[in-house]
Amino acid sequence: MTETPTETARLLELRGIDKTFGTVQAVRGLTLSVPAGEFVTVVGPSGCGKSTLFNMVAGLDEPDPGGVLRFKGRSCHAHELLGRVSFMPQRDLLLPWRNVIDNAIIANEIEGADRKTARARALRMLPEFGLTGFEAQYPHQLSGGMRQRVALMRTFMFERELMLLDEPFGALDALTRSMMQRWLLDVWERHRRTVLFITHDVDEAIFLGDRVLVMTARPGSVKLARPVDLPRPRSAELVTSPEFIAIKREILAAIEEESMKSFMATGMRAA
Amino acid sequence: MSREALRGLLGGALLVLLWEGVACGFALPSYTLPAVSEILASIWVQRANLITGGATTLLEALAGYAFGTAIGITLATVIIVLPWSRSAILPVVMAVNSVPVAAYSPLVLLWFGIGVSSKIALVTLAVGFTVFLSALAGFDRVDRRSVDLLRSFGAGQASVLWRLRLPAALPLIAAGMRVATVRSLIVAIVTEMLGAQSGLGWIIYQAVVGIDFVGVWSAIFVASALSLAFFGVIGWIERKVIFWR
Repeated sequence: MTETPTETARLLELRGIDKTFGTVQAVRGLTLSVPAGEFVTVVGPSGCGKSTLFNMVAGLDEPDPGGVLRFKGRSCHAHELLGRVSFMPQRDLLLPWRNVIDNAIIANEIEGADRKTARARALRMLPEFGLTGFEAQYPHQLSGGMRQRVALMRTFMFERELMLLDEPFGALDALTRSMMQRWLLDVWERHRRTVLFITHDVDEAIFLGDRVLVMTARPGSVKLARPVDLPRPRSAELVTSPEFIAIKREILAAIEEESMKSFMATGMRAA
Repeated sequence: MSREALRGLLGGALLVLLWEGVACGFALPSYTLPAVSEILASIWVQRANLITGGATTLLEALAGYAFGTAIGITLATVIIVLPWSRSAILPVVMAVNSVPVAAYSPLVLLWFGIGVSSKIALVTLAVGFTVFLSALAGFDRVDRRSVDLLRSFGAGQASVLWRLRLPAALPLIAAGMRVATVRSLIVAIVTEMLGAQSGLGWIIYQAVVGIDFVGVWSAIFVASALSLAFFGVIGWIERKVIFWR
Protein backbone atom coordinates (compact mmCIF):
# COMPACT_ATOMS: atom_id res chain seq x y z
CA MET A 1 0.00 0.00 0.00
CA THR A 2 1.45 3.29 -1.08
CA GLU A 3 -1.38 5.52 0.07
CA THR A 4 -0.32 8.34 2.33
CA PRO A 5 -1.97 8.53 5.73
CA THR A 6 -3.94 11.65 4.82
CA GLU A 7 -5.56 9.83 1.93
CA THR A 8 -6.65 6.82 3.95
CA ALA A 9 -7.88 9.05 6.74
CA ARG A 10 -10.18 10.81 4.30
CA LEU A 11 -13.26 8.65 4.39
CA LEU A 12 -15.32 10.57 1.86
CA GLU A 13 -14.23 12.96 -0.80
CA LEU A 14 -16.25 14.84 -3.42
CA ARG A 15 -14.58 17.00 -6.03
CA GLY A 16 -16.31 19.08 -8.68
CA ILE A 17 -19.62 17.24 -8.37
CA ASP A 18 -22.58 18.47 -10.46
CA LYS A 19 -26.15 17.21 -10.37
CA THR A 20 -28.90 18.29 -12.71
CA PHE A 21 -32.56 17.30 -12.59
CA GLY A 22 -34.11 18.11 -15.97
CA THR A 23 -33.40 21.81 -16.41
CA VAL A 24 -32.62 22.49 -12.76
CA GLN A 25 -29.05 22.34 -11.59
CA ALA A 26 -29.26 21.34 -7.94
CA VAL A 27 -25.56 21.12 -7.21
CA ARG A 28 -22.58 22.66 -9.04
CA GLY A 29 -18.91 22.11 -8.44
CA LEU A 30 -19.49 20.62 -5.02
CA THR A 31 -16.23 19.84 -3.28
CA LEU A 32 -15.87 18.52 0.23
CA SER A 33 -13.93 15.92 2.14
CA VAL A 34 -14.69 14.22 5.41
CA PRO A 35 -11.90 12.66 7.49
CA ALA A 36 -12.73 9.47 9.37
CA GLY A 37 -14.26 10.08 12.79
CA GLU A 38 -15.28 13.67 12.13
CA PHE A 39 -18.72 15.12 12.85
CA VAL A 40 -19.52 17.45 9.96
CA THR A 41 -22.69 19.53 9.95
CA VAL A 42 -24.17 21.08 6.81
CA VAL A 43 -26.35 24.21 6.86
CA GLY A 44 -27.73 26.32 4.06
CA PRO A 45 -30.86 28.04 2.71
CA SER A 46 -33.78 25.78 1.86
CA GLY A 47 -33.59 24.16 -1.55
CA CYS A 48 -29.81 24.52 -1.67
CA GLY A 49 -29.17 20.91 -2.64
CA LYS A 50 -28.38 19.52 0.80
CA SER A 51 -30.67 16.56 0.28
CA THR A 52 -29.29 16.07 -3.22
CA LEU A 53 -25.85 15.79 -1.68
CA PHE A 54 -27.14 13.16 0.73
CA ASN A 55 -28.95 11.17 -1.91
CA MET A 56 -25.75 10.97 -3.91
CA VAL A 57 -23.61 9.93 -0.96
CA ALA A 58 -26.25 7.36 0.07
CA GLY A 59 -25.97 5.90 -3.44
CA LEU A 60 -29.55 6.73 -4.46
CA ASP A 61 -28.72 9.35 -7.11
CA GLU A 62 -25.83 9.28 -9.56
CA PRO A 63 -24.02 12.63 -9.95
CA ASP A 64 -23.57 14.05 -13.46
CA PRO A 65 -20.50 12.61 -15.16
CA GLY A 66 -17.29 14.53 -14.69
CA GLY A 67 -16.91 14.88 -10.94
CA VAL A 68 -14.87 12.76 -8.58
CA LEU A 69 -16.47 10.71 -5.84
CA ARG A 70 -14.11 8.83 -3.57
CA PHE A 71 -14.99 6.59 -0.65
CA LYS A 72 -12.32 5.06 1.58
CA GLY A 73 -9.68 6.38 -0.80
CA ARG A 74 -11.19 4.70 -3.84
CA SER A 75 -12.94 6.35 -6.73
CA CYS A 76 -16.44 4.92 -7.21
CA HIS A 77 -19.93 5.32 -8.67
CA ALA A 78 -22.64 6.49 -6.34
CA HIS A 79 -24.63 3.26 -6.67
CA GLU A 80 -21.67 1.34 -5.30
CA LEU A 81 -22.34 3.13 -2.01
CA LEU A 82 -25.75 1.43 -1.60
CA GLY A 83 -25.53 -0.66 1.53
CA ARG A 84 -22.22 0.89 2.59
CA VAL A 85 -23.42 4.08 4.23
CA SER A 86 -26.00 4.31 6.96
CA PHE A 87 -28.59 6.84 5.96
CA MET A 88 -31.29 8.45 8.04
CA PRO A 89 -33.78 10.52 6.04
CA GLN A 90 -35.74 13.50 7.35
CA ARG A 91 -38.85 11.57 8.28
CA ASP A 92 -38.46 8.57 10.55
CA LEU A 93 -40.11 6.28 7.96
CA LEU A 94 -40.70 3.57 10.54
CA LEU A 95 -42.75 0.69 9.18
CA PRO A 96 -46.12 0.73 11.00
CA TRP A 97 -46.45 -3.06 10.96
CA ARG A 98 -43.14 -3.63 12.73
CA ASN A 99 -42.61 -3.06 16.43
CA VAL A 100 -39.70 -1.07 17.83
CA ILE A 101 -37.20 -3.93 17.79
CA ASP A 102 -38.10 -5.12 14.31
CA ASN A 103 -37.91 -1.58 12.97
CA ALA A 104 -34.48 -1.18 14.52
CA ILE A 105 -33.08 -4.34 12.94
CA ILE A 106 -34.49 -3.95 9.42
CA ALA A 107 -31.16 -2.92 7.90
CA ASN A 108 -29.43 -5.88 9.54
CA GLU A 109 -32.18 -8.15 8.31
CA ILE A 110 -31.66 -6.85 4.77
CA GLU A 111 -27.93 -7.54 4.89
CA GLY A 112 -28.76 -11.11 5.87
CA ALA A 113 -27.95 -11.05 9.58
CA ASP A 114 -29.55 -13.65 11.80
CA ARG A 115 -32.77 -12.15 13.11
CA LYS A 116 -32.45 -13.61 16.57
CA THR A 117 -28.93 -12.28 17.11
CA ALA A 118 -29.89 -8.88 15.72
CA ARG A 119 -32.93 -8.70 18.00
CA ALA A 120 -30.81 -9.59 21.02
CA ARG A 121 -28.30 -6.88 20.12
CA ALA A 122 -31.06 -4.32 19.61
CA LEU A 123 -32.55 -5.28 22.96
CA ARG A 124 -29.23 -4.52 24.63
CA MET A 125 -29.08 -1.12 22.88
CA LEU A 126 -32.58 -0.03 23.96
CA PRO A 127 -31.52 1.65 27.25
CA GLU A 128 -28.93 3.76 25.46
CA PHE A 129 -31.67 5.07 23.18
CA GLY A 130 -34.11 5.65 26.02
CA LEU A 131 -36.47 2.99 24.76
CA THR A 132 -36.31 0.45 27.58
CA GLY A 133 -39.59 -1.40 27.89
CA PHE A 134 -40.85 -0.17 24.52
CA GLU A 135 -39.46 -3.03 22.43
CA ALA A 136 -42.87 -4.49 21.61
CA GLN A 137 -44.62 -1.17 20.93
CA TYR A 138 -45.66 -0.15 17.44
CA PRO A 139 -44.78 3.23 15.89
CA HIS A 140 -48.32 4.62 16.23
CA GLN A 141 -48.04 4.14 19.99
CA LEU A 142 -44.88 6.28 20.28
CA SER A 143 -44.28 10.04 20.59
CA GLY A 144 -42.40 11.95 17.89
CA GLY A 145 -39.17 12.03 19.93
CA MET A 146 -39.32 8.31 20.54
CA ARG A 147 -39.99 7.52 16.91
CA GLN A 148 -36.95 9.59 16.00
CA ARG A 149 -34.85 7.66 18.51
CA VAL A 150 -36.00 4.37 17.00
CA ALA A 151 -34.97 5.69 13.57
CA LEU A 152 -31.58 6.71 14.97
CA MET A 153 -31.19 3.31 16.58
CA ARG A 154 -31.90 1.72 13.21
CA THR A 155 -29.16 3.92 11.74
CA PHE A 156 -26.69 2.98 14.48
CA MET A 157 -27.55 -0.72 14.24
CA PHE A 158 -26.50 -0.61 10.59
CA GLU A 159 -22.84 -0.35 11.45
CA ARG A 160 -21.11 1.62 8.72
CA GLU A 161 -18.22 4.04 9.04
CA LEU A 162 -20.22 6.88 7.52
CA MET A 163 -23.57 8.02 8.91
CA LEU A 164 -25.79 10.47 7.03
CA LEU A 165 -28.34 12.22 9.19
CA ASP A 166 -30.79 14.47 7.33
CA GLU A 167 -32.40 16.90 9.78
CA PRO A 168 -33.17 14.15 12.26
CA PHE A 169 -34.55 16.56 14.87
CA GLY A 170 -36.26 18.96 12.48
CA ALA A 171 -39.79 17.96 13.45
CA LEU A 172 -39.24 18.05 17.23
CA ASP A 173 -40.08 20.85 19.65
CA ALA A 174 -37.20 23.00 20.93
CA LEU A 175 -36.88 21.31 24.34
CA THR A 176 -36.92 17.75 23.05
CA ARG A 177 -34.55 18.81 20.34
CA SER A 178 -31.84 20.17 22.64
CA MET A 179 -32.15 17.07 24.80
CA MET A 180 -31.77 14.87 21.74
CA GLN A 181 -28.70 16.84 20.60
CA ARG A 182 -26.86 16.26 23.86
CA TRP A 183 -27.95 12.66 23.84
CA LEU A 184 -26.71 12.21 20.25
CA LEU A 185 -23.29 13.63 21.14
CA ASP A 186 -23.16 11.25 24.07
CA VAL A 187 -23.92 8.25 21.89
CA TRP A 188 -21.58 9.48 19.16
CA GLU A 189 -18.67 9.89 21.58
CA ARG A 190 -19.05 6.24 22.53
CA HIS A 191 -19.46 4.86 19.00
CA ARG A 192 -17.24 7.34 17.14
CA ARG A 193 -18.58 7.06 13.64
CA THR A 194 -18.05 9.60 10.93
CA VAL A 195 -21.17 11.74 10.68
CA LEU A 196 -22.53 14.04 8.01
CA PHE A 197 -25.46 15.91 9.53
CA ILE A 198 -27.86 18.26 7.72
CA THR A 199 -29.74 20.88 9.68
CA HIS A 200 -31.57 24.19 9.30
CA ASP A 201 -30.59 25.22 12.78
CA VAL A 202 -27.28 27.10 13.10
CA ASP A 203 -27.04 26.53 16.86
CA GLU A 204 -27.48 22.82 16.29
CA ALA A 205 -24.84 22.81 13.56
CA ILE A 206 -22.23 24.49 15.79
CA PHE A 207 -23.17 22.61 18.94
CA LEU A 208 -22.80 19.21 17.30
CA GLY A 209 -20.12 19.67 14.65
CA ASP A 210 -16.36 19.49 14.45
CA ARG A 211 -16.81 21.51 11.31
CA VAL A 212 -19.76 23.41 9.84
CA LEU A 213 -20.23 23.56 6.08
CA VAL A 214 -22.37 26.43 4.81
CA MET A 215 -23.87 25.79 1.39
CA THR A 216 -24.63 28.38 -1.26
CA ALA A 217 -28.07 28.96 -2.74
CA ARG A 218 -28.95 26.73 -5.71
CA PRO A 219 -26.97 25.45 -7.50
CA GLY A 220 -25.43 24.29 -4.25
CA SER A 221 -21.76 24.17 -3.40
CA VAL A 222 -19.76 24.73 -0.24
CA LYS A 223 -19.52 28.44 0.55
CA LEU A 224 -17.76 28.23 3.88
CA ALA A 225 -16.12 25.46 5.89
CA ARG A 226 -15.79 26.65 9.47
CA PRO A 227 -13.98 24.45 12.01
CA VAL A 228 -15.61 24.45 15.43
CA ASP A 229 -12.73 24.37 17.88
CA LEU A 230 -14.86 24.09 20.99
CA PRO A 231 -13.90 21.46 23.56
CA ARG A 232 -15.82 18.23 23.97
CA PRO A 233 -17.81 16.96 25.78
CA ARG A 234 -20.10 19.91 25.18
CA SER A 235 -22.78 21.00 27.60
CA ALA A 236 -25.91 23.07 27.11
CA GLU A 237 -24.30 26.29 28.47
CA LEU A 238 -21.87 26.28 25.56
CA VAL A 239 -24.38 27.99 23.27
CA THR A 240 -24.11 31.24 25.26
CA SER A 241 -20.31 31.37 25.42
CA PRO A 242 -18.51 34.17 23.49
CA GLU A 243 -16.59 31.66 21.34
CA PHE A 244 -19.84 30.02 20.28
CA ILE A 245 -21.44 33.39 19.52
CA ALA A 246 -18.45 34.44 17.42
CA ILE A 247 -18.71 31.34 15.25
CA LYS A 248 -22.46 31.76 15.02
CA ARG A 249 -22.11 35.37 13.85
CA GLU A 250 -19.72 34.33 11.11
CA ILE A 251 -21.96 31.49 9.90
CA LEU A 252 -25.15 33.52 10.08
CA ALA A 253 -23.57 36.23 7.93
CA ALA A 254 -22.69 33.66 5.28
CA ILE A 255 -26.17 32.11 5.34
CA GLU A 256 -27.85 35.51 5.28
CA GLU A 257 -26.00 36.41 2.10
CA GLU A 258 -27.07 33.16 0.41
CA SER A 259 -30.67 33.35 1.67
CA MET A 260 -30.98 36.82 0.19
CA LYS A 261 -29.68 35.52 -3.13
CA SER A 262 -32.17 32.67 -3.29
CA PHE A 263 -34.97 34.90 -2.00
CA MET A 264 -34.28 37.49 -4.70
CA ALA A 265 -34.12 34.78 -7.33
CA THR A 266 -37.47 33.23 -6.38
CA GLY A 267 -39.03 36.67 -5.82
CA MET A 268 -37.96 37.67 -9.31
CA ARG A 269 -39.40 34.49 -10.80
CA ALA A 270 -42.68 35.02 -8.98
CA ALA A 271 -42.90 38.58 -10.30
CA MET B 1 -72.60 -6.02 21.62
CA SER B 2 -71.49 -2.66 20.34
CA ARG B 3 -73.93 0.21 19.91
CA GLU B 4 -73.36 0.13 16.16
CA ALA B 5 -74.25 -3.56 15.89
CA LEU B 6 -77.34 -2.89 18.01
CA ARG B 7 -78.46 -0.10 15.68
CA GLY B 8 -77.92 -2.36 12.68
CA LEU B 9 -80.06 -5.03 14.25
CA LEU B 10 -82.73 -2.50 15.08
CA GLY B 11 -82.74 -1.26 11.46
CA GLY B 12 -83.13 -4.80 10.19
CA ALA B 13 -85.98 -5.52 12.59
CA LEU B 14 -87.79 -2.33 11.52
CA LEU B 15 -87.48 -3.31 7.87
CA VAL B 16 -88.90 -6.77 8.55
CA LEU B 17 -91.81 -5.29 10.54
CA LEU B 18 -92.58 -2.76 7.81
CA TRP B 19 -92.37 -5.45 5.15
CA GLU B 20 -94.62 -7.78 7.12
CA GLY B 21 -97.08 -4.95 7.79
CA VAL B 22 -97.27 -3.88 4.14
CA ALA B 23 -97.57 -7.44 2.81
CA CYS B 24 -100.30 -8.46 5.27
CA GLY B 25 -102.00 -5.09 5.69
CA PHE B 26 -102.60 -4.58 1.97
CA ALA B 27 -103.14 -8.32 1.48
CA LEU B 28 -100.64 -8.31 -1.40
CA PRO B 29 -100.58 -11.49 -3.49
CA SER B 30 -97.38 -13.45 -2.95
CA TYR B 31 -96.18 -12.94 -6.55
CA THR B 32 -96.00 -9.20 -5.79
CA LEU B 33 -94.56 -9.35 -2.28
CA PRO B 34 -94.91 -12.32 0.04
CA ALA B 35 -94.81 -11.72 3.79
CA VAL B 36 -91.52 -12.34 5.57
CA SER B 37 -93.16 -15.00 7.73
CA GLU B 38 -94.30 -16.79 4.60
CA ILE B 39 -90.74 -16.71 3.17
CA LEU B 40 -89.19 -17.98 6.39
CA ALA B 41 -91.70 -20.81 6.53
CA SER B 42 -90.89 -21.72 2.94
CA ILE B 43 -87.14 -21.69 3.72
CA TRP B 44 -87.79 -24.17 6.51
CA VAL B 45 -89.85 -26.44 4.28
CA GLN B 46 -87.29 -26.36 1.47
CA ARG B 47 -84.28 -26.44 3.75
CA ALA B 48 -82.72 -29.59 2.30
CA ASN B 49 -82.87 -28.19 -1.22
CA LEU B 50 -81.60 -24.75 -0.13
CA ILE B 51 -78.70 -26.21 1.84
CA THR B 52 -77.49 -28.25 -1.15
CA GLY B 53 -77.93 -25.28 -3.50
CA GLY B 54 -76.30 -22.89 -1.05
CA ALA B 55 -73.36 -25.25 -0.60
CA THR B 56 -72.81 -25.43 -4.36
CA THR B 57 -72.96 -21.64 -4.74
CA LEU B 58 -70.69 -21.09 -1.77
CA LEU B 59 -68.18 -23.61 -3.10
CA GLU B 60 -68.09 -21.87 -6.49
CA ALA B 61 -67.79 -18.46 -4.90
CA LEU B 62 -65.03 -19.51 -2.48
CA ALA B 63 -62.99 -21.37 -5.09
CA GLY B 64 -63.25 -18.50 -7.58
CA TYR B 65 -62.49 -16.05 -4.78
CA ALA B 66 -59.30 -17.91 -3.86
CA PHE B 67 -58.12 -18.18 -7.49
CA GLY B 68 -59.09 -14.61 -8.30
CA THR B 69 -57.34 -13.18 -5.27
CA ALA B 70 -54.16 -15.14 -6.01
CA ILE B 71 -54.15 -14.17 -9.68
CA GLY B 72 -54.98 -10.51 -8.97
CA ILE B 73 -52.16 -10.07 -6.47
CA THR B 74 -49.71 -12.01 -8.64
CA LEU B 75 -50.48 -9.93 -11.71
CA ALA B 76 -50.08 -6.67 -9.80
CA THR B 77 -46.78 -7.96 -8.42
CA VAL B 78 -45.55 -8.76 -11.93
CA ILE B 79 -46.29 -5.19 -13.01
CA ILE B 80 -44.33 -3.82 -10.06
CA VAL B 81 -41.34 -6.14 -10.55
CA LEU B 82 -41.25 -5.65 -14.33
CA PRO B 83 -42.33 -2.02 -14.84
CA TRP B 84 -42.28 -2.32 -18.63
CA SER B 85 -45.04 -4.95 -18.46
CA ARG B 86 -47.48 -2.35 -17.11
CA SER B 87 -48.21 -0.85 -20.51
CA ALA B 88 -48.66 -4.34 -21.94
CA ILE B 89 -50.92 -5.77 -19.23
CA LEU B 90 -53.02 -2.83 -18.12
CA PRO B 91 -54.79 -2.03 -21.44
CA VAL B 92 -55.72 -5.69 -21.94
CA VAL B 93 -57.07 -5.99 -18.41
CA MET B 94 -59.04 -2.75 -18.81
CA ALA B 95 -60.50 -3.88 -22.13
CA VAL B 96 -61.70 -7.18 -20.67
CA ASN B 97 -62.99 -5.45 -17.56
CA SER B 98 -64.96 -2.81 -19.46
CA VAL B 99 -67.66 -5.41 -20.25
CA PRO B 100 -69.87 -6.78 -17.45
CA VAL B 101 -68.75 -10.26 -16.45
CA ALA B 102 -72.27 -11.60 -17.18
CA ALA B 103 -71.72 -10.82 -20.85
CA TYR B 104 -69.02 -13.48 -21.01
CA SER B 105 -71.27 -16.06 -19.35
CA PRO B 106 -72.63 -17.73 -22.51
CA LEU B 107 -69.10 -18.20 -23.84
CA VAL B 108 -67.76 -19.51 -20.58
CA LEU B 109 -70.69 -21.91 -20.30
CA LEU B 110 -69.84 -23.12 -23.77
CA TRP B 111 -66.17 -23.62 -22.90
CA PHE B 112 -66.45 -25.01 -19.38
CA GLY B 113 -69.89 -26.66 -19.48
CA ILE B 114 -72.81 -26.04 -17.14
CA GLY B 115 -71.11 -27.60 -14.08
CA VAL B 116 -69.35 -25.74 -11.30
CA SER B 117 -66.17 -25.04 -13.31
CA SER B 118 -67.83 -22.38 -15.51
CA LYS B 119 -69.05 -20.56 -12.38
CA ILE B 120 -65.63 -20.77 -10.77
CA ALA B 121 -64.05 -19.38 -13.93
CA LEU B 122 -66.32 -16.34 -14.01
CA VAL B 123 -66.01 -15.66 -10.29
CA THR B 124 -62.23 -15.87 -10.70
CA LEU B 125 -62.44 -13.27 -13.47
CA ALA B 126 -64.63 -10.89 -11.46
CA VAL B 127 -62.70 -11.22 -8.21
CA GLY B 128 -59.38 -11.12 -10.05
CA PHE B 129 -60.14 -7.66 -11.52
CA THR B 130 -61.24 -6.18 -8.25
CA VAL B 131 -58.25 -7.47 -6.31
CA PHE B 132 -55.80 -6.70 -9.13
CA LEU B 133 -56.84 -3.05 -9.36
CA SER B 134 -56.77 -2.50 -5.61
CA ALA B 135 -53.44 -4.32 -5.23
CA LEU B 136 -51.90 -2.21 -8.00
CA ALA B 137 -53.21 0.98 -6.39
CA GLY B 138 -51.77 -0.24 -3.07
CA PHE B 139 -48.35 -0.97 -4.55
CA ASP B 140 -48.28 2.38 -6.34
CA ARG B 141 -49.08 4.26 -3.16
CA VAL B 142 -45.93 3.09 -1.36
CA ASP B 143 -43.79 6.00 -0.18
CA ARG B 144 -40.87 6.53 -2.54
CA ARG B 145 -38.71 7.68 0.39
CA SER B 146 -39.27 4.40 2.21
CA VAL B 147 -38.18 2.51 -0.90
CA ASP B 148 -35.06 4.70 -1.04
CA LEU B 149 -34.31 4.05 2.61
CA LEU B 150 -34.39 0.28 2.15
CA ARG B 151 -32.31 0.60 -1.03
CA SER B 152 -29.73 2.59 0.93
CA PHE B 153 -29.49 -0.39 3.26
CA GLY B 154 -28.62 -2.48 0.22
CA ALA B 155 -32.05 -4.02 -0.34
CA GLY B 156 -32.77 -5.52 -3.77
CA GLN B 157 -36.14 -5.61 -5.55
CA ALA B 158 -37.34 -8.79 -3.90
CA SER B 159 -36.44 -7.53 -0.46
CA VAL B 160 -38.21 -4.21 -1.02
CA LEU B 161 -41.26 -6.06 -2.32
CA TRP B 162 -41.44 -8.44 0.62
CA ARG B 163 -40.50 -6.08 3.43
CA LEU B 164 -42.16 -2.90 2.22
CA ARG B 165 -44.44 -2.97 -0.79
CA LEU B 166 -46.54 -5.97 0.12
CA PRO B 167 -47.31 -4.99 3.72
CA ALA B 168 -47.79 -1.34 2.71
CA ALA B 169 -50.29 -2.36 0.03
CA LEU B 170 -52.14 -4.70 2.37
CA PRO B 171 -54.81 -2.20 3.53
CA LEU B 172 -55.89 -1.53 -0.06
CA ILE B 173 -55.60 -5.19 -1.07
CA ALA B 174 -57.82 -6.08 1.88
CA ALA B 175 -60.37 -3.41 0.94
CA GLY B 176 -60.53 -4.90 -2.57
CA MET B 177 -60.89 -8.38 -1.13
CA ARG B 178 -63.77 -7.21 1.06
CA VAL B 179 -65.65 -5.77 -1.90
CA ALA B 180 -64.89 -8.92 -3.88
CA THR B 181 -66.70 -11.16 -1.35
CA VAL B 182 -70.09 -9.84 -2.39
CA ARG B 183 -69.13 -9.79 -6.08
CA SER B 184 -68.11 -13.44 -5.93
CA LEU B 185 -71.56 -14.57 -4.76
CA ILE B 186 -73.40 -12.30 -7.18
CA VAL B 187 -71.44 -13.62 -10.16
CA ALA B 188 -71.86 -17.24 -9.06
CA ILE B 189 -75.64 -16.82 -8.74
CA VAL B 190 -76.11 -14.89 -11.97
CA THR B 191 -74.12 -17.49 -13.90
CA GLU B 192 -76.13 -20.30 -12.34
CA MET B 193 -79.31 -18.65 -13.55
CA LEU B 194 -78.01 -18.91 -17.11
CA GLY B 195 -77.42 -22.65 -16.88
CA ALA B 196 -76.44 -24.98 -14.05
CA GLN B 197 -77.12 -28.31 -12.41
CA SER B 198 -77.55 -26.93 -8.89
CA GLY B 199 -76.98 -23.80 -6.81
CA LEU B 200 -79.04 -20.89 -5.49
CA GLY B 201 -79.17 -19.22 -8.90
CA TRP B 202 -80.50 -22.40 -10.40
CA ILE B 203 -83.14 -22.63 -7.65
CA ILE B 204 -84.18 -19.05 -8.39
CA TYR B 205 -84.43 -19.79 -12.10
CA GLN B 206 -86.53 -22.90 -11.56
CA ALA B 207 -88.79 -21.10 -9.08
CA VAL B 208 -89.37 -18.30 -11.60
CA VAL B 209 -90.28 -20.81 -14.29
CA GLY B 210 -92.60 -22.55 -11.82
CA ILE B 211 -94.14 -19.16 -10.89
CA ASP B 212 -93.14 -19.84 -7.27
CA PHE B 213 -92.21 -16.38 -6.05
CA VAL B 214 -92.02 -17.38 -2.43
CA GLY B 215 -89.37 -19.86 -3.57
CA VAL B 216 -87.46 -17.05 -5.35
CA TRP B 217 -87.49 -14.99 -2.19
CA SER B 218 -86.35 -17.95 -0.10
CA ALA B 219 -83.27 -18.40 -2.27
CA ILE B 220 -82.61 -14.64 -2.22
CA PHE B 221 -82.75 -14.66 1.57
CA VAL B 222 -80.27 -17.52 1.79
CA ALA B 223 -77.95 -15.86 -0.75
CA SER B 224 -78.08 -12.60 1.13
CA ALA B 225 -77.28 -14.33 4.43
CA LEU B 226 -74.29 -16.13 2.86
CA SER B 227 -73.05 -12.91 1.33
CA LEU B 228 -73.27 -11.02 4.62
CA ALA B 229 -71.50 -13.81 6.48
CA PHE B 230 -68.67 -13.97 3.93
CA PHE B 231 -68.28 -10.19 4.01
CA GLY B 232 -68.24 -10.27 7.79
CA VAL B 233 -65.60 -13.00 8.03
CA ILE B 234 -63.24 -11.27 5.58
CA GLY B 235 -63.80 -7.94 7.34
CA TRP B 236 -62.98 -9.54 10.67
CA ILE B 237 -59.78 -11.12 9.32
CA GLU B 238 -58.83 -7.78 7.79
CA ARG B 239 -59.11 -6.01 11.13
CA LYS B 240 -57.00 -8.71 12.80
CA VAL B 241 -54.24 -8.74 10.19
CA ILE B 242 -54.00 -4.99 9.55
CA PHE B 243 -53.78 -3.96 13.18
CA TRP B 244 -51.74 -0.82 12.60
CA ARG B 245 -54.48 1.24 10.93
